[in-house]
Order: sequence, then structure tokens, then C-alpha cells
Amino acid sequence: MIEKKKLDRVLNKVIKPARYIGMEQNSIIKDLDKVKVKFAFCFPDVYDVGMSHLGLHILYNLINQYDDFACERVFTPWIDMEELMRKEGIPLYTLENKEEVRDFDILGFTLQYEMSYTNILNVLDLSGIPLLSRDRSNDDPLVIAGGPCAYNPEPLADFIDVFVLGEGEEVTLELLNKYKEHKERGWDKESFLKDILDIEGIYVPKFYDVHYKEDGTIREMVPLIDEAPKVVKKRRVEDLDSMFAPETMIVPFVETVHDRVVLELFRGCTRGCRFCQAGMLYRPIREKSPSRLMDLARELVDNTGYEDISLSSLSTCDYSQLQLLVSSLMKEHGEDNVGVSLPSLRLDSFSIDILKEIEKVRKSGLTFAPEAGSQRLRNVINKGVDEEDLVKAVSYAFDEGWSKIKLYFMIGLPTETDEDVLGIRDLSYLVKDIFFNAPKEKRRGNFSVTASGSCFVPKAFTPFQWVSQDSIEEFRRKAYLVKDSIKDKKITFNYHDPEVSYVEAVIARGDRRLSRVIKRAWEKGCKYDGWREHFNFQLWQEAFDEEDIDGGFYAQRERNEDELFPWDFIDIGVSKKYLYREYQKSLAGQLTHDCRLACTGCGIRDCSMRGVFN
Amino acid sequence: MILRVKFNKKNYLKYIGHLDLLRLFQRTFRRAGIPVKYSQGFNPHPKFSIANPLSLGIESEGEYMDIELEDKVDIDDFTQKMNQVLPKDIRILRAIYPKENKSISSELSWALYGVTLEIEEDLSIEDIQERLDNWLARGGIIISRLRKQGKRKVMKEEDIAPLIGGIDVRDKTGSEVTLEVLMRVGEDGNLRPFDFIDALKASDIIKLDKDSVSLIRKALYKEDGDQLYEPI
Repeated sequence: MIEKKKLDRVLNKVIKPARYIGMEQNSIIKDLDKVKVKFAFCFPDVYDVGMSHLGLHILYNLINQYDDFACERVFTPWIDMEELMRKEGIPLYTLENKEEVRDFDILGFTLQYEMSYTNILNVLDLSGIPLLSRDRSNDDPLVIAGGPCAYNPEPLADFIDVFVLGEGEEVTLELLNKYKEHKERGWDKESFLKDILDIEGIYVPKFYDVHYKEDGTIREMVPLIDEAPKVVKKRRVEDLDSMFAPETMIVPFVETVHDRVVLELFRGCTRGCRFCQAGMLYRPIREKSPSRLMDLARELVDNTGYEDISLSSLSTCDYSQLQLLVSSLMKEHGEDNVGVSLPSLRLDSFSIDILKEIEKVRKSGLTFAPEAGSQRLRNVINKGVDEEDLVKAVSYAFDEGWSKIKLYFMIGLPTETDEDVLGIRDLSYLVKDIFFNAPKEKRRGNFSVTASGSCFVPKAFTPFQWVSQDSIEEFRRKAYLVKDSIKDKKITFNYHDPEVSYVEAVIARGDRRLSRVIKRAWEKGCKYDGWREHFNFQLWQEAFDEEDIDGGFYAQRERNEDELFPWDFIDIGVSKKYLYREYQKSLAGQLTHDCRLACTGCGIRDCSMRGVFN
Repeated sequence: MILRVKFNKKNYLKYIGHLDLLRLFQRTFRRAGIPVKYSQGFNPHPKFSIANPLSLGIESEGEYMDIELEDKVDIDDFTQKMNQVLPKDIRILRAIYPKENKSISSELSWALYGVTLEIEEDLSIEDIQERLDNWLARGGIIISRLRKQGKRKVMKEEDIAPLIGGIDVRDKTGSEVTLEVLMRVGEDGNLRPFDFIDALKASDIIKLDKDSVSLIRKALYKEDGDQLYEPI
């Protein structure tokens, strides 16, 4: 355990010291001498961000249900804290028992975004755990990782012992039980790793070798032992109503990004937007029933005292019984000053009506995501909205008293022309015209529209996994094309740094050779790469150069149909054939309808949500 | 209906700032089912206020807040329900329904702090006491701090000697010295404990290691003539 006096010297000097003390309401502190497997769960970013992640609350409460297991939390210390910890010789510790991370049996990372990878190395280093899997002995914790980025695990292959693919509710317990068995009969990492290979969703990179062609692409990936499966299937939970769902959440002392009850309505999405990785990874769509959700909401509000319930899902407005759920929640909790909120909005009046029902605060801003500026390009990415939808939704919103609109776009989408990019300007002006075309006496509020353009990053397991990303210069040229074309004080255009998106794109479709670059970048001082003020492109470029790896090979190369991808050994249920078909359809500008209408043949088995709409 | 509550804040929970503490209480009221009055308007919030907010990093044995209630609640019941939900290092200690209609903040005028620090020279308790007494007797303990002047903040010099009610050396173990310091709080002058520490360090009266300083607020007092009373 970390000595309190030593910690006090440090905590007195850092900003937001409450990030590092634990002891929040509903945190669970067990006697670590009495549990059989100690699991340290790490979200490799700062506390305020990590605590907003729903998956953490699910796994934390799931694992801690069992007397044999303890799950404790670790986050990356902020820059000021890290510096003082290194100076005072304080190793990284878990928030619950303030026990050193290296004394845990398992250290598990959740991989939510590629730009957190250098933080993973920093966590290992601050814990005093060797970075490379092959350098760790039986005395070091087993290092595992899961989450959306684990679907392309290869860039982290050198560091992570075990990847867990898919939904964690079941497989995590299977893994922990196996660990317990092995620990009881004498721990040997090697035999444990071999023994878990038959668990669905488990991938152990060291049991595979990758052979490359002359051109740098992959020839084949071969299992090195018989037990290692050639194809690793993702895990999915069949019935969400009977699946474990937390009835409590840790309530942080400091304000976090999402400081509220998070109610997960469903998993999966049927819209089929071609840029969206989550839309493919989490298929098929599976809903929780309104009665189950009402029960969970009641428990969560009682146990946390939160004043807000956020209805969370990939596309919340698609929940088949949203109207019923929202009015029931309002009826039950409204009087206690507990509100309901929607994280995202569909472009239609149905969504705005629901928003109207729940919005108790001043009508301020509304956010929509047309994603692309022109209809042609929206068809390419299969974003099933047209200009008419936007016009209707925005007019309706203005009539109802909203006056500030935010529009989200991506720049650098496949087949994009300058005309498409300038569509961002056109839509923004259109929104402004709709507001001011209304008679003066009907206009309410102080109008503004903010359009923001992020740089498109092609991701694995999407129809765009074959495409080349725009170059950094091209991104910048396009961003300025839009920016310079807007000459209106009421319209603001923001764009993201293309350098970050470039590195993200390299890692997102990278192979295991990239482990070296990530390690080198970290050694040079890269960390918190997802934070604009800490991202240092110069250091990343040096890391690529020194490891003699061309980032452009990964980010800016159009792939052939038959290229073998580093992630192809993973079976997410959606077939590569389907993804390629979608890619071809996108190039032809053809739409694919919402698959609840009729099956579009993505390859997922046992899909049951057909024909269910709200 | 105002309920006046005394609570403490110990151990690691000294690292929770004032706004975080307000949020914590707001949620605790909800969980404990306390009928707190809410403000009207678009963004209703519970009506309660904590007197003389404690600086981050300082423990306390006695903090006070006034809570506005919809209905009168039984005090034992209130204390028990709150303590069931609150983290163990924050405890409700006492509560009363005050007779006078005066806010708790306006009643308080002194705070007693326990200060533990390490000194870098070998002095007896008596030596230290004498030096501190002389320091206070001399007066003119000047600090500079940012003060609001219209919209701007201006660095101003201020004599804090009148804001120090007295210093008692209570204990010394090895190089660790424990003091008790009475400091002015409230509208008629407010001395922040870290300003006191900085002034003491700057005075060179005793050589101290600033990193070793730990503070605890032992009591808040109201003043009646030359007598000090705890408000509950």
C-alpha cells in the first residue's frame, strides 16, 4: 500500500487531487488478502475521462459481485501528478486499496481510441512492469486488453499478453475463473495462455507469426501451436435483458465528462453508415425491454443520487419504444427533479418532439450530424438523410424556439470533390436562411450555426477499410477551402488537426510492426496524444523514421480487393464480402437501406430485430 | 425551515474542493430522501449553503451548513440517513433548528486551525513560542495578494497581523511542531491559512519545510464580547 504521508506531499501540489484518492460513493474496497484474483482495470486516460466510460462501470460491478475477485481502478495520472510521482518514487497504484498495480494478478486495459496507446506504455512504466510481453515473468501481472480498438489488436501485439474480443460480460468471468484455477494449482503464464485458447473471443498474439510479401502486405498469419485457432470469433451476449447490467455506478467527487446515470438502451445499429466502425462491430441490434430499463433506472437513481439520466446507445432515437420509455421515466422521476437527456439526435421531428418533452433547461443548442456536405457524398457514406430532412428538422427546431445549431461533418471522405466540401458551407448558409426567412416577429433567440469538420479516418471492419486517407496537406487545403468561403459572423467553421488523424489512421489499420513505433514514440516523450495540447507530431515523425516505417503505407494506400488485412483473422460476424460489396456500392453512390426493413445480408447470424421501428 | 448542520471532513476527503462538496451533498440529500427545497426556474437546484468554504487540502473537525427544507425532519433521523449514505470520512456531527433567522456565514468570525510542520533547526517549544509571540507583538505582517478592483485584479499589500488572534505551540516531536492558530474569518476580515503559512515562512522566524505542512480546521467560532462560542 502507498504510504499516505508520501502521497500527501504530492497531492497537496497537483490540480484536482480528488482524481487520485478513490473513496467515491459506490466504490468497492475489498480485503485484498481474502480474494483469489486481483484485477486492475485501467482506462488509459485521465480520471475525468475514464470515469465517464460505461464499460468500466459494467465490468467493475460485475467482477466485484464475486467474493473471489476484486476489481480496482487505475487511470493515467495527469502530467503534473506523473512528474511528482516519478520524483518522489511513488509507483502507480489502484484507487481502491491504494495498492501498487504491479502487485495485481491481472492488469486490463480498455482500448477506446488509438491515441491512448502511448498512455498504456506509460501506465506499465509507472507501475514498474516491463513493457514487452516477452520480458514479463511469472511474477508480473498478466496484461490483457479489450474494447473497440482491440478489433485491430496487432499494433499492440508486443505489449499485450491476451486480447479479449467482443462484449466482455461473459468472457471476462470465464477468463478470471480460469486464472483462479491456474493460480490455485501453481501459476505458470505459458500454460495458462495455452489453456485459454479455446475460450471464444480470446486472442494471444505470441502464438501467431505473420509473414509478409515483398511489397510489405501480409502473406499469411500462421498459428504457431495447434491449440491456437486460425480464426478468432468475437463474443456477443445474446439476450440483453437477462445479461448483467449494473444497478449502481461510482459517483466521482470531481466533475467528469458524463456526470450522470447512463442507461444503455440497446447494442448494435441497423443504419449501415459506411464510415462507422461501431455500426459494424456491434451487430446485431439487441434491445433491452422498457420494463427492464425502468427497473434499472430506478435502482441507478436511488443508488447514485444523480439528477440526470442519459439514454445511451449508438443511435438512441432508433430505440423502438423510445416514446414510451421517455414518458415513463419522466413520469416516475420528474417530480424528484431528475431529468432525462439524449446524447445524440436523429434528423427528424420525432426526435425533436421527444427532446421537447424532456428539455427542462433553456433551449440553447441543437446538434445534428449530416456528416457530409453534399447529397452525392452522403449517399456514398450511406448516411440516410437528405437536405429535406435537414430543412424540416431545422425549421421545426426554430419554430420550437431553438436558435443555435451545431453541424458535424467529416472532411476527406472517399470520392470527395471540392464541390462536396463546399457543401458544408452551403448547408450552413441554408440553415441561416431558414432562420432569417421566418417573419421577424416569429424569430426567437440569438442565431448562430457552428459547423465542425473532423478528418476522416478509415477504420478496420468498415466498407472503407480499403481506401486511402487524404494527405495532411489535402486535409488542410480542404479545411481552408471551407473556412475561407464563409464570410458571415453568424457562421463558424472549426476543423480538427489533420496530424492527429493521420497518426490515428496509421495505427487504426496497422500491423504488429507498429509496436516498435509506438514504443519509440513513447520513449521520446509522447503521451496523452488525444489531447491537442500534448500531441507532438514531430516526435511521432521521428519515431517512424528511426524505426524505418512509412506511415503512408498504412494511412494513405488504397488496398486491393484481395489484400489480407492484419485484422482478418477476427470474425466479427459481418463478412468481408459484405463490406467489399458495400464499398463498391458506395463508389457507385448507391444507398443500402436500414436493415430492419429487410435483411441486407451482412453475414450476422441469428438477427432478430427485422421490421421493428418507432 | 432552516436546518443547521455541523459536519467534519477528514483524511483524503480534504482533497475535495468546495464545488465538489456541494455536488456531493446534493446527491446525498437525494439518496437519503431529505426534503430539501429547490429553487424555481429553468434549472432548479437545492437550497443549502456551506459557511466559509474550506480551502482544498485542509481537514476539518467542524464545518457548518444551513439547509432549507420543505418539511421539518426529525434530527436523529436526518443524521442517521445522511451518515448511511455519506463517505465515511464525512460525518454529520450535530444538527439544530436555529431560533434566530441569521445565516450561519454571518455569525462566524474566528477559525481555529491546527498546523503541523517540520522545522529545520533545533528549538524547544518555549523558544518557538517566544519567537512567535514576538513576531505577533511586532505586528506589520505584510503579504501581497490579488484583490478585485472593479473588473480587474490588482496585487495589494495587506497587514495580516490583526487577522491573527493568537498562536499556541502545542507539541513538538522530533522536528515536527504542532501549532494552534486563531484566524479571522468572515466579512470583517478573512485570513486564508495558506497565506498565513506563506507569511510565516517568509518571516524566517522559524525555518520550516513548506512541503511538510498539514492543516486541520479544528473549530469555527462566533464572537460575543471577548468570548468565543461554537455555533451549535
